[in-house]
Amino acid sequence: MYNGPVIDCDVHHARATDEELLEYLSAGWREYIVDRGPAGIMPLTVQDGLPNPHGFMRADTYPPTGGPAGSDFVTMRRQLLDRCDLSRAILTFGDDSHVAGHHNPYFATELARALNDWSVERWLSADARLASSILVASQLPDEAAKEIKRHAGNPRMVQVMLVDNPYNYPFGHPVFHPIYQAAEETGRPIAIHGGAGGWANPASTGGGNVNLYFEAHTLWPQVVMTHLVSFVSHGVFEMFPRLKLLLIEAGSAWLPSLLWRFDAEYKGLRREVPWLKRLPSEYVAEHVWLTTQPLELSPKREQVTQLLGWIEGDRKLVYSSDYPHWDADEINYVASRLPESWHRRVFFENALAFYGWTEADVSTPARMAIT
Amino acid sequence: MSTDVGALTEFADGAIRIVGVTGREVGIVRWHGAVYAVYNLCTHQSGPVCSGILSGRLTATAPGGMDLDNSTPILACPWHGWEFDLRTGRALHDAQHRLRMFPVRIENDRVLVELGPAADEANKASLS
Repeated sequence: MYNGPVIDCDVHHARATDEELLEYLSAGWREYIVDRGPAGIMPLTVQDGLPNPHGFMRADTYPPTGGPAGSDFVTMRRQLLDRCDLSRAILTFGDDSHVAGHHNPYFATELARALNDWSVERWLSADARLASSILVASQLPDEAAKEIKRHAGNPRMVQVMLVDNPYNYPFGHPVFHPIYQAAEETGRPIAIHGGAGGWANPASTGGGNVNLYFEAHTLWPQVVMTHLVSFVSHGVFEMFPRLKLLLIEAGSAWLPSLLWRFDAEYKGLRREVPWLKRLPSEYVAEHVWLTTQPLELSPKREQVTQLLGWIEGDRKLVYSSDYPHWDADEINYVASRLPESWHRRVFFENALAFYGWTEADVSTPARMAIT
Repeated sequence: MSTDVGALTEFADGAIRIVGVTGREVGIVRWHGAVYAVYNLCTHQSGPVCSGILSGRLTATAPGGMDLDNSTPILACPWHGWEFDLRTGRALHDAQHRLRMFPVRIENDRVLVELGPAADEANKASLS
């Protein structure tokens, strides 16, 4: 059991309807997507993911008032914010998080802008415990950088989130660097959310596109591993030394063996990346954090702890529920799998460090009068 | 104990040549006028390091850059590619990891390599 303060670093909020977003789109783009015949509004989300045999959402999270799971603040407040007594919840969008999977880069850029405004107005105004990711359409990195800077003055837009990859190069490639420059300039960390595989281009996993959700979900870490190796290899942390990176929903117990290999490769292949001044594991130790969910289920509890000990898991893991998704982790379940001495740091203090908050910053119980 | 391994002119600049010194294989390197002697045994997996590639050091001031520091002799082991700075014997990725180097001096255009206790003392001194 853990009874201390909790910051949940992966909470998916959603729109109840497409119409909900219309007022946040420019007149031109609104005209572009509506009233073009009986089909109604043009699809606003990419929908080429592999189907989950359970459905993607926890069945009990659908609001009684209708709409998708995660679309009703009151339901979320009751099921998550109040029940778990969260100090802060970091919103990470739902299907809309796949905005970078759109083929039309201009439409995606406008959608990202509208979705961020929607998140501020519809969600952050509802409860001071909520903070939001800044969604960016990475198809146009310079435009994405402008979007990040547009939110520089709002401290509750706390991180820049990347999910789908619009290019056939992982996220360390220089094409994405304008995003990281803007993030560093505005003091925002980057968050890479697992799960882009199977949704949009490019291939969902190395070796080829998998066919079953079972395969895709098992291999989600592989996608994030690729991005992490790319980040370090292309010298993102050399170019942007104040940048922090959070890997969301990709597991964590794989990291030690990846770093052992990464360091070994560096010893032999340094001449290809002479801009790296340290071992890859040293960059990761300084710049990278990981969310707990889905925590690897080792046969014996101490096994996963022992592995995570290699990456200072007590300092680098931040709790995440993944509410309202089907595989969301409960606080006390995670607490039961990790040493008690880690609890306060994993559930609370590590997130404070990652987002640059003090305990006082997150102690305001600002519950708004929304019913 | 010094061992005469040949005339200086027998060692081409920018190259490594393996000689036998009291039963040990030692690579003699001439690099921009300096001469180095390195034991032909990689401390990683005991590979024949002196059969590797000798070059200057590749550096970069920023990601994507590729500059050549030709003043630094680098020996890359043919097994696994670990790079060592021949001025110190130290690996580029870890200064604690090093090849065994022997003191060299030139007298009357002859190359003399120091082995034995004096070489061991020199190695210890370079570690400190």
